[in-house]
Amino acid sequence: MKARPKTQPKTRISLTAIVWRIFKMVIKACPIYFTATCLIGVIHGLSWGLNTYATQFFFDAVATAVTSQTELTMVYLGLLALGGVTVGSQVLNGVHNFMAGALYGLVPGHLVKHIHRKAARIEPICYESPDLLDDINKAEKGAGSSLGLLIVVVVLLTFYLPYFVFMGWYLYRLKPILLLSLVFIFIPVFITQLIRGAVHARLEDESAPLRREVDYYERCICDREYFKETRLLGAYRFFRDLYLTALKAMQQKKWNVELKTNLMEIGMRMLTLAGYFGVLYLLFTALMNGEISIGSFAAVFGSIELMFGIMEEIVANHIGGMTRDLATVRNFIRFLDLPERSGDTERVSFDGGIKFTDVSFAYPGSETKALDHVNLTIRPGETIAIVGQNGAGKSTLVKLLTGLYLPTEGTVEIGGVDSRRISPESIYKGITGVFQKYQRYKLTLQENVQISDLQAQDENHLDAAVAKADLELDQETFPQGYETMLSREFDGVDLSGGQWQRVALARGFYRVHDLIVLDEPTAAIDPLEETRIYHKFAELSKEKTAIIVTHRLGSAKIADRIVVMDQGRIVAVGTHEQLMQEQGKYAEMYQAQAQWYAG
Amino acid sequence: MQIDARRYGLWDLVKLPLQAGPGAAILTGLNSLLSGIVPTLHVVVTASFIDTAIAVLQGSAERSEIYSRLFAVVALIAYSWVSGSAAKLASTKLGLALQEHYHTAITEKRARLHYRHIEDPESWDLISRVTSRPEGQLSDGYNLLLSMAALIFRVLGVLGILISQVWWAAVVIILLSVPLFALAVKSGKASYEASKETEKYRRKSSYLSSILTSRETVDERSLFGYGDPINEMWHERYETARKIEHRVRRKWFIRTKIGSLITAFLSVLIVVVLLNPVLAGDLSIGLFMSLVVATFSLVQMMSWGLGSYVDQLAKFREYLKDLTKFAMLEESDSAQMLPADPAPEFQSLDFKNVSFKYPGMEKYVLRNLSLRMEAGKHYAFVGVNGSGKTTITKLIAGLYDNYSGEILLNGKNLREWDPAELKAMLSIVNQDFAKYYITVRDNIALGDVNHIESDSDWRVNRAIDQVGLAAAVEKLPQGIHTPLGKIKADGQDVSGGEWQRIAMARAIANPAPLRILDEPTAALDPVSESELYQEFERISRGKTTIFISHRLGSTKLADEIFVIDEGRVLEQGTHQELMALNGEYARMYESQRSWYN
Repeated sequence: MKARPKTQPKTRISLTAIVWRIFKMVIKACPIYFTATCLIGVIHGLSWGLNTYATQFFFDAVATAVTSQTELTMVYLGLLALGGVTVGSQVLNGVHNFMAGALYGLVPGHLVKHIHRKAARIEPICYESPDLLDDINKAEKGAGSSLGLLIVVVVLLTFYLPYFVFMGWYLYRLKPILLLSLVFIFIPVFITQLIRGAVHARLEDESAPLRREVDYYERCICDREYFKETRLLGAYRFFRDLYLTALKAMQQKKWNVELKTNLMEIGMRMLTLAGYFGVLYLLFTALMNGEISIGSFAAVFGSIELMFGIMEEIVANHIGGMTRDLATVRNFIRFLDLPERSGDTERVSFDGGIKFTDVSFAYPGSETKALDHVNLTIRPGETIAIVGQNGAGKSTLVKLLTGLYLPTEGTVEIGGVDSRRISPESIYKGITGVFQKYQRYKLTLQENVQISDLQAQDENHLDAAVAKADLELDQETFPQGYETMLSREFDGVDLSGGQWQRVALARGFYRVHDLIVLDEPTAAIDPLEETRIYHKFAELSKEKTAIIVTHRLGSAKIADRIVVMDQGRIVAVGTHEQLMQEQGKYAEMYQAQAQWYAG
Repeated sequence: MQIDARRYGLWDLVKLPLQAGPGAAILTGLNSLLSGIVPTLHVVVTASFIDTAIAVLQGSAERSEIYSRLFAVVALIAYSWVSGSAAKLASTKLGLALQEHYHTAITEKRARLHYRHIEDPESWDLISRVTSRPEGQLSDGYNLLLSMAALIFRVLGVLGILISQVWWAAVVIILLSVPLFALAVKSGKASYEASKETEKYRRKSSYLSSILTSRETVDERSLFGYGDPINEMWHERYETARKIEHRVRRKWFIRTKIGSLITAFLSVLIVVVLLNPVLAGDLSIGLFMSLVVATFSLVQMMSWGLGSYVDQLAKFREYLKDLTKFAMLEESDSAQMLPADPAPEFQSLDFKNVSFKYPGMEKYVLRNLSLRMEAGKHYAFVGVNGSGKTTITKLIAGLYDNYSGEILLNGKNLREWDPAELKAMLSIVNQDFAKYYITVRDNIALGDVNHIESDSDWRVNRAIDQVGLAAAVEKLPQGIHTPLGKIKADGQDVSGGEWQRIAMARAIANPAPLRILDEPTAALDPVSESELYQEFERISRGKTTIFISHRLGSTKLADEIFVIDEGRVLEQGTHQELMALNGEYARMYESQRSWYN
């Protein structure tokens, strides 16, 4: 039973730091487009302010014309100005929104590319920690929200700010106290939205586990993974009841929170309303005292409502959205800051073999040692078999042999070089493998094989690798030859387990190597096939250093030496004959397996 | 609430929410419609306020008269705020109601689907589309219709006031609006078509993205170093999709902008039209000003609203088409049935010349397969991958029934069996057995779902002992009541081998007389596996068992072995008989044995 790894405390990154990081990334990705969008935003914002001004001018002209029966030139001028600004505003609006939308398509592509790039460079061991998996899952979402966050900040600064500054100045010039009182009534709105945001954030945290439960029970009924079994067991009602119970609990929570926040909101709004009343009265008295014109009066009256609406939208949608997105964006940045493994770029030669000196290894957050003081020397050109029962540490040993993991204690020397010192790419360069959980990529046959060495594109190599794996390219199975898509999902074909195994073998052989690992490859294959594969493998790895991992002791005999593992330790090393003579663990396991085939 | 097999249309965007949460739906609807009237009232009230202010200024009205107007303005705002909050609540309630009733109805339909739809990728695609956020789709659709209705009310309201002042303005506006509307409809369709085309690229790039970031691929990704080249591939696909969408968006924008420019000119025109009356004194200044403001803001709303509403409507229409297809998918009667209690007796199973291919596939998986199994015996199926072994179990379980030939269970045609009885007859442990993230006890007790509540724990504990799981369970913090997996906060992870034993325990707890084990021991080493098979066989004395395996150690325990090849029975007999035959079985056995010589 694996112990649950401890959760690391998450580092807090400030909002400004986050915005700055994203800004740099976006500027690098599309400098011109982004700057242009911001500029247009500023002009757009100003045009709104101008709109109010033009409206006031026009109304004033009309009012004067009506009351004092003066000539209409001012009126027509005003109309022209108003018409012009309206049309201009519309155009700017369109362009601004279009460009912003285009950015929303362009930028996430670049940001996600960063994520992919990073995912390829962080230590493979990190993928064992649940925190990283959490971060990765949220990082993509964060990349999507990042641009939104940046744009909100930018829009607030370049669009709304100029508008409010303009309006503030305008109002101040009309009547100073107007400005003050307006600020006053906005405050309750602000507070309300902030509280709402905080409450919702807490609701999210509390209801997340409940929501996971609801989603999970639904999956137990509907998902492919569970469908067959749930149906055959007749377990529908069981899961449905669990689903409904969890659903009701979650809904109850949500409802309570919504009720409370809405009531609070109404309360606050009543406060604002009183202030609104006051402002209108102020306007009225100002009009009565002749401090402002009728035109200004009407224009400002309309503008207050507009400003109110904008303020609400800013706080509720923009800032609300921003606080919601901040968490995921933080995950994105945190992910990008993960340490990568570095080291010297050096050519590693396997002529020196591989040497384990007192190596121990424990998985992150775990107390137990998966490898315990292992000492092993592998000579170049040797074929080694690593055997042992499940959980003995075979796969972990392989991961350290190939440099995928680094030891927690002791040294692993590959070709005489400490694996900690040199860069991972240098280590991986001469190594290839056929993993136990080899991947079945939903790509073409060619891509599935060549994916092990995409830098080197060589047609001959491909044919050779496929031949080595005994993979036949018959018309029926591979109608488009190498271009056949190996997945029904992308309108391709389905391969059987055995055929996939051969593809994985071809993949392993394709990569130029001095060391090859074959990790328990025969999980889903019948005995004849299995035998063929092991023999083939032995034949093909004669000049190279080869490592087989198996729990089938019979097949270990093709190796030059056998390494026997038990509970993270090497308990015996030798040839088959030597180990049988020792009458130790190996002999015991061998007999236990062989007895099934006796008689 | 149920998903009936019928056509679903736009009207259902109203009907279904009303069905799920009538109170909330009506409240939301009412609020939306009233909010369409509010702007009209707003024009009148504002006009009155301004006019009164001017009148007071000019001395033709008492100062005190302003208070009632002021009050009216504030009251209107108060109404819209309170109703806004109330609407938010109603909307939340509606969302919850839809989740409780509509979403559950969809889940129920999914659970009833014929098994073939689960394995068919096209159906699965459809199912994924329809069932992602179903309550969100409906509430969004409902809200859209309400917004459209509100917009219409708003337009009519302002129009009404306009017409009351200048009657022919209406004609002009209507004439100019028609092409606008046509433009909007056209753009809506275009953007929907584009999103279907980009769908293909998006799926591909989404898949490539998953290869680059998932935990499963990390070993190959690191060792083979394919991160960067695949990243480039991903970006290429992503950009292709983006560019297509960008082009379409641009066209859409140009169209909409032309439309809104037309409406902008329109509003200026209206102002010009209103100029004469106000200058002549037929129209009060207050009304003039508030009309102008209302018209401009309306124009702003319409130029955006119309285009995006039609756009969204097109998307919802597609959703409803998908929903119709989904609702029409074939169901299976037995899907939600409980197994019969008590379990029936098993006597015999006959396959007579059974041929079968999966729906939509060309190749026949079973070809004239014939075999017979009798009660109390222990059988083994061996054969290469794809030979048809697992398909046989699927047919026995009744998951597919489009086979030719006859399958007789206890002498009766399988197709005529009561599904509940059939369920109770079989217990299958699959290769991809289900790992339920519930308690250990429930995981195992699910084998006998009819007694899962009443069953005391001793039966579960006995099964645990029989599969050798006792030590592991003791280490768990809450013993058999420990939740597994990470769904619950105190959930624990267990190893692959332990999960296999739990699956075995589930099979043991199952009262079914016929037990099938389909290679559930993939990750175990040969000794553990054979021991487990041996143990299982011993526990299942008295029942009829079928082991499917390609590892031949355990086949020696069988009373009869069927060698399946290319969909038919190639050889059958006991281990000794098959060895004597010196055929395929013997060959397979020898190749495994040769390792141990």
